[in-house]
This record gives sequence, C-alpha cells and structure tokens, in this order.
Amino acid sequence: MRTARWRAALRTPLGATAAAGSLALLVLAVAGPVLWGSAAEETDVASMNQPPSGDHLFGTDDLGRDVLARVLVATRTSLGLALGATAIGIALGLILGTLPVVLGQRLGRMVVALVNFLVAFPALLLALFFAVIFGLDARGAMLAIGMAIAPSFARLVQTLSASVAGRDYVSAARIAGVGRFRLIRRHVLPNIAEPLVVNATMGAGGALLAFAGLSFLGLGVQPPTYDWGRLLGEGLGRIYVNPAAALAPGVAVVVAGLVFALLGETCAAVLGVRTGRGPVAGRARHAEQPESGKEAAGTGGDTVLHVDNLTVAFPAERGTSRAVDGVTLGVRAGEAVGIVGESGSGKSLTALSAAGLAPASATVSADRLDVAGVPVLASSEAQLRDRLGTSVAMVFQDPTSSLNPSMRVGRQLGEIAQTHDGTSRAEGLRRAVERLTWVHIPDPQMRAGQFPHEFSGGMRQRAMIGMGLMGRPQLMIADEPTTALDVTVQREILRLLRDVQHDSGAAILLISHDIAVVSQICDRVLVMYAGRIVEELPVDRLDGGAVHPYTRALLASVPDMSTPQDVPLATIAGRPPEPSERSPGCAFAPRCAFADDLCRSTDPVLEVVGPQQRAACWHPQRAESVSGGTAGEMPGGTAGQSPEQTPARVTTGDDQ
Amino acid sequence: MTGPLVFEDVHIRFGSGSRATWAVRGVDLEVPPGSVVGLVGESGSGKSSLAKAAVGLVPVASGRIELGGVDQSGRTLRRRRVQMVFQDPYSSLDPRMTIGESISEALPRGIRRAERRTEVARVLELVDIDPWRATSLPGDLSGGQRQRIALARALAARPDVVIADEITSALDVSVQGSVLNLVRDIQRELDLAVLLISHNLAVVRYVSDVIAVMRSGRIVEFGGGDEVLERPEHPYTQLLLESVPRIGSALGPSDHATRRE
Ligand SMILES: Nc1ncnc2c1ncn2[C@@H]1O[C@H](COP(=O)(O)OP(=O)(O)OP(=O)(O)O)[C@@H](O)[C@H]1O
Ligand code: SF4
Ligand SMILES: [Mg+2]
Repeated sequence: MRTARWRAALRTPLGATAAAGSLALLVLAVAGPVLWGSAAEETDVASMNQPPSGDHLFGTDDLGRDVLARVLVATRTSLGLALGATAIGIALGLILGTLPVVLGQRLGRMVVALVNFLVAFPALLLALFFAVIFGLDARGAMLAIGMAIAPSFARLVQTLSASVAGRDYVSAARIAGVGRFRLIRRHVLPNIAEPLVVNATMGAGGALLAFAGLSFLGLGVQPPTYDWGRLLGEGLGRIYVNPAAALAPGVAVVVAGLVFALLGETCAAVLGVRTGRGPVAGRARHAEQPESGKEAAGTGGDTVLHVDNLTVAFPAERGTSRAVDGVTLGVRAGEAVGIVGESGSGKSLTALSAAGLAPASATVSADRLDVAGVPVLASSEAQLRDRLGTSVAMVFQDPTSSLNPSMRVGRQLGEIAQTHDGTSRAEGLRRAVERLTWVHIPDPQMRAGQFPHEFSGGMRQRAMIGMGLMGRPQLMIADEPTTALDVTVQREILRLLRDVQHDSGAAILLISHDIAVVSQICDRVLVMYAGRIVEELPVDRLDGGAVHPYTRALLASVPDMSTPQDVPLATIAGRPPEPSERSPGCAFAPRCAFADDLCRSTDPVLEVVGPQQRAACWHPQRAESVSGGTAGEMPGGTAGQSPEQTPARVTTGDDQ
Repeated sequence: MTGPLVFEDVHIRFGSGSRATWAVRGVDLEVPPGSVVGLVGESGSGKSSLAKAAVGLVPVASGRIELGGVDQSGRTLRRRRVQMVFQDPYSSLDPRMTIGESISEALPRGIRRAERRTEVARVLELVDIDPWRATSLPGDLSGGQRQRIALARALAARPDVVIADEITSALDVSVQGSVLNLVRDIQRELDLAVLLISHNLAVVRYVSDVIAVMRSGRIVEFGGGDEVLERPEHPYTQLLLESVPRIGSALGPSDHATRRE
C-alpha cells in the first residue's frame, strides 16, 4: 500500500522530476570528483579568465581552471556540507524538541521558552553569529548552519511530539511502565517521523542556500577547497570578464535547492503531510440533474422534505462506493422524524445532502430532492444559500464548529437577520436577544455580548438552535445534537427542540445513534443500515412492534434501566459492511439469524408491513414470534441463543 | 490480592495561582477486590481526573490513592497494579505498533521472549480476539476490536484493578453490548476489581455492584446499585435518573418558564 503510493507518486510530473533530479545530484556527487577531478585542478596560465569557448564551456578562472569542471566537482562538497549541516540541525532539533517530554513539566517549559526565544532570530543571523564563533572554515560553517536551523526544527518537533504525547496510547504506555526514553523512541518519534522527513528534506535545501551564502561571504569553505558558494564568490569578482563563471555555480545552487524542495513536496504528497499548498487531489462537486418530468409517488402539498431515491457515492479504490444507496423519505410540515443507525450507516450524509451540504467529493443523485420547495440538485450553491439559508436550520453535534469563536454570539445571530432580511444592525441584535430568550438562555442580553467559548456546551447548542430560529425555518435538521452532552442537558435540549417544533411549526429531522433519544420527540423513526432504510415505524411501535431483525437486535442490545444484571446483553455478531464491500442481497444477511438463500441473493425492498410501518426484509419478525422478551433471547445474530449459552463469548475475534 | 484501591480525601487541581481550577475536591472512595464500582456524573465532574490520578497520569494536590499500602499517585511507579482502558479506541493504540507489540510492552518485566508470545496470545484469547491478530496493526481493526485489545493490554500487566473510563461511549450500540459482556465476564473470571466510569446510567447499572455519583468534584451519593437507583437520596441523582431517555416514556415539560407566547 505504502510502496504503491510511492510508485504512483513517481508517475506524477512532480514526483518524476524530483526523482530524476535527486538521482542526477547523487550521481554527480559520487562521480563528479572522479571524472573531472583532475580537469578541475589543472591550472593553465596561458588561458586565464577565458570567456566560454569550445574547450571550456563556461570559460576558465584566474588560474586557467575549467569552471564547468569545478562546478561539477563541487557538487560533492556542497551537498555533503549541506546534508551534514541538516543532520546536525535535525539531531539538535530532535534533542531540544523531545526534551520537554523527557523532563516533565517545569524544566520542559523552560526548554520550550528557550526554543521560542531562539526561533525569534532569523536563521541566517544565527548562522553568521555561530560561524564567527566556530571559526572560518567548512567545519565551523557546517556547525553554525546546523545550529542555526535547529531551533525551528526543534519547535516543529515540540509541537508534533506534544500532540502525540497527549494521545491515549502514550498514556497507556506510561501506565504500563514504559520509561521516558523508550516512550520517545517507540511511540513519539515513529508517529511524528513523516512530517519531520518532509521538513528535513526542505530544510536541506535551505541549508544548501545558507552554505552557499556563507562561502560566498568567505565565511564558509576556505581555499584550496571549494563549493558552489565559493565558486560563486570568485566568479562574481570577475563578472565583467567572464559572467559565465558566476552563472554556472549560481544555477547549480538554484537547481539543487529546487530538487530538495520538489523532493520535499513529493514526500509530503505521498505521506499526506500538508505543506500549505492546498489539497493534492480535489474533485469537484457533481450533482446530477433530476430526470425531468419524473414525478415521485406520495407527494403531499405540505411536505417540507421530499427525498426520492437518493444516492450519495464517493470515489473509491475500485470505482465508487455508495454510502447512501437509494433512500426515499418524506417529512411533512410540523412533523418530527428520526433517523437512527450505526456509525457509517449513512444517516448524516442523507441529512447533509438534503440541505445541499454534502462533502465536495461526494456525488449526489436523486430522482427528486426538494427541501422547502427548493430543488436542491438543480440549484446553484448561491441559490441554495439564499433560499435555504432561512428556511432550513442545521444543528450539529459540535456547535463549536459552526459558531465563529471570534465573534460575539449576539452579533453572529444578528448578522443572519442582516444578510437575509436586510434589517439594521440594531434590529438584528434585538432579534438575536429575543431568539436567545426563546431557547431558554438565561440573561440573554448579557449572553449576547459574550463569545462562544464563554458558553457551556449545552448553552452553545441552544445558541445554535437559536441561530436556526433567526430565519423562519420550515425544517430543522439536527445531527446528533445531544451526543456530546450530559443526560440532564440532553433532556433540556430535546425538550427545547420539541418546544421549537410546537411553537414555530418547523418540522424536525433528528439524527441519532440512540434510538431512545429519537423516541423522545419524534413521531416516526427511520432505521438505516448500510446506506439504506431498513425499517420505518411510528415511535409507539418501537416497544415490541419492530419487525426487521436489525431493528429488533438493536433494541435488544442496548441496556436500559430494567435490563436484568445476571443475563448477558444480546449482541449482534459481526459489523456493518463498508460501503465498498457490499455484496448482493440483504446487507444484514451475514449478521442475521434468519438469513436464507433468498436473503443472500436478492435485495429486499421496503414494503408495507403494518399501519404506517414498512420494512425491507424477506422474513419480517412479528411480535408473536418472540418467545420471551428478555434481552438474551432476542433473535438476531448470536443473540438468538439462550442466556445459558452465554452468547457474548461465542463471538470470535474476527467480528465486532 | 492486595486489598482495596483506596482514595482518601483526594484533591486534584489543574493550573495554578488565580487560574487554578479544582477538578476533584475531596473524594473518598474504595474499590474492594473483586467488585465493580460504577462512577457516574456529568461531564467535567472530575471522573476522568480521578481515574488518571490513580494511574499517575495527573498529580494529586493532596490526599492519597493507595493499593495494598502502595501509593499509586506518583509518576514513577515501576509496576502498576492499577491499569486503565481509555475512551477512544482510535487513539489508545499506537498506530505504528502491531497489536502484539503494544500488548507485549505492558507485560511485567522479567518475562522471557518465548513466554511473551504465549502471554500475548493468552490475553488476546481472554478478550475473544484470535491470537493471530497479534501481527495486525490497529488500523485493520474495528472500534470494538480495538477496545478489546486495549482491555487485553491492561490485563497483560496483571493488574488487580482495572479502571474503565467511558470505554463504550465511542462504540456503536450494537458493539457496546459485547464489550460490556466481556468486561463482566473477565471481571468474574479473574476476580478483578473494576472502576467503571460512564455517564450512561444504564451501562453503569448493568455492570456495577456499587454506584458512586459524582458532581463538581465530589461524590454526592454512594451505595449498592439498586439502593442508589431505586431510592436515590441526593437531588442530583434523582435528576440524573429522570433524565435517562427511555422508549415509551414522556419527555416532560421544559424546566424553563420563559416559553414563547
Ligand atoms: N467525505 C467522505 N469521503 C469518503 N467517504 C465518506 C465521506 N463522508 C462519509 N463517508 C462514508 O460514508 C458512509 C456514511 O457516512 P455518514 O457520515 O453518513 O454516516 P453516519 O451514519 O452519520 O455515521 P456516524 O454515526 O459515525 O456519524 C461511511 O462509510 C463513511 O465512511
Ligand atoms: S432479508 Fe433476510 S437477512 Fe435481511 S434482515 Fe431480513 S431475514 Fe435477515
Ligand atoms: Mg453522523
């Protein structure tokens, strides 16, 4: 996989150029002195300071030596010194950078402060300073440049290792008794290696330039040795006699520097490190137009969300993978509908697509996708923003990601009224305070003047809902709005959503992995599995009325406040298929106790199985077929066994 | 058996000076050998801080945390008899290390190479993972499997006490059940003491013998599971119980009077 990515990178123009350039430099460094060593040393007083000619392509220097030969021979010295300096910089940087992890808090902080102090100086200034201290020769310059680039490298290592050191696996290793040095060697370094490699490669280019600079100033390599910087210095002295003598080493420095930069970029592309140049590969959003004239069934005049045969696909290794696969649903005005399903079942994508917010890499298609009367797929992004901006409200799990941290909450809400309704700033703010009152934020006047970080999690979620209410939402889409909250706060937010629905008449589409949460405020529940709706039922049928084996297993596997303690919980063996590995037939078949050949070969479709209830299953389980009602006896996967057989333990390693 | 894990008047502080916040303000708690103590409470109430202090990841400001007469709160304890399983199965295993290496690292010192292999296989079997998985990287495993492996790593250290901090809250509901079953089975099989931390009352109730309710850095209620949940005395425990969403139960009116017209 990794090698495949390198190989693929080699086929890109960037990668190919970088590889060819590095190879050329390497060959030159190795073979240069052998091939042209004598030519570069051969003095010829008769032909001093000659301009370019057939014999000497770039002319000669003031001892009559061939400039081109000298530039080629200097590759080894120049690269060697640059790499040496980089190595010193990296070594010092690694030591300084990981020291805080080793030293513990107080001393560590001092090291961080020192590094921050050193980083404040320009590297070249530091290099000059150290060069004077370490002496005016190649070794001194190498040390100087190494030390000059160390601080910035140290800071990178510090930031990276601090983030890794905060990870649970490092904590776990600590608890397990792993020593500090071992911790760094085994856990920290390997996990920060990739960005470091990228940075070191680019750093080498910088070191090369810095070295050329020092030698040029006469601080680096001393005669009789020479590097590109030295040659450049000598050439510049005679620029009016033979400009080519200055040009050749200059070009060499630039080319070698470029090669390092390209190499760094290639590494970054392969290793997935960002260098601040935007994504490596981007794919434009592609929305298929709805087939004209095709009318979906069951359209009511009062539907605020109408989704017919929605498919959301992503480019995958082989072809595309359909994360949402033919979902049809409708939400009527003022109705509350819940979508439940496990992680990856496609519930978020369904909701996001409905609001025209599917990720850019997704291909969204549907026979029909209308929200609040707006055809989502046929509208441009600007049109959507304009028309859905006030009629659809989104509430996400993490309100911090949708509130601007640097803007006062009141301003933020007020701005919506300003942009969409053209109100004055004062009116916007007044409305914002009113909405904050609606969502039960105490002392709304004062809170409107605060920043989001001054709010608690529950309050931020309220503010988010308040933001949705700034317009006149016909539909409020809430994606796991309470998952990050405590049960007590969760209950308040759910009550708030219910009140908002009652008072404003907005319909609600509530997405959650927790069927109990959904049951609290919804009228209807849609159960999703592997990108499809597998069951749709009224909330009051949840208790005992579900017929799809997956819904039933889901209900049985969650402990509630009356689950008997001495019986193992029902489990569903295996895990949901990834979108790319879905096989024909019912997606739940590998985990289903009732699966037969029909299930494995043919996909069941949603069919009416009762009043307001539909299920996609060849063998819907009626309530009568449940023997007991205790969790352990629930049909579905291994859960079908009786408690004495301890269902949990028979599932083996390759599941769950 | 080394006796109970004892928290005695534990205080934990983050930051210093005027910016200091007290995460834990005087907790006394005992986790007896072979029993499961459930710790519930709202986020920010100090549950995880308490857990981390017991394994030396955060320092205690005052008070003691002891197991069999040995202080557990220091950073440098050679062999920890208290181990911890973390919430997020995606960040608790080193992505660069194979499962086997991660687990092997946690084995007590002085175990020979050959024995390490069998020991790793043994703990993997304990958590129902095929021992051949030892050579897999965490990236190849699902969340539930990773959480089993995190548990296996904790068990590899031959602990007397395992602290499980929200170990199922990042898992899918269908997987949660099997991890909970596993924790229960292993606890009984190895006669471990377990401190199970969760904000999910139903989870805590299902697994625990004793339940402690924490709020604002203090334990406000403590007692047998049925006792605490059936006859909660502290108003916060009552509120917590009422707030659990249940299928078929009503949500109740808003606590706030400021309804819109
Ligand atoms: N930007 C993306 N690129 C590629 N695949 C994606 C992208 N976003 C989602 N997917 C895939 O689509 C599928 C459904 O994702 P979705 O976010 O809708 O799931 P979900 O049911 O909301 O899950 P969760 O409970 O974890 O939020 C998953 O398999 C996911 O990996
Ligand atoms: S169609 Fe078959 S495999 Fe699928 S859920 Fe129904 S019984 Fe199970
Ligand atoms: Mg989601």
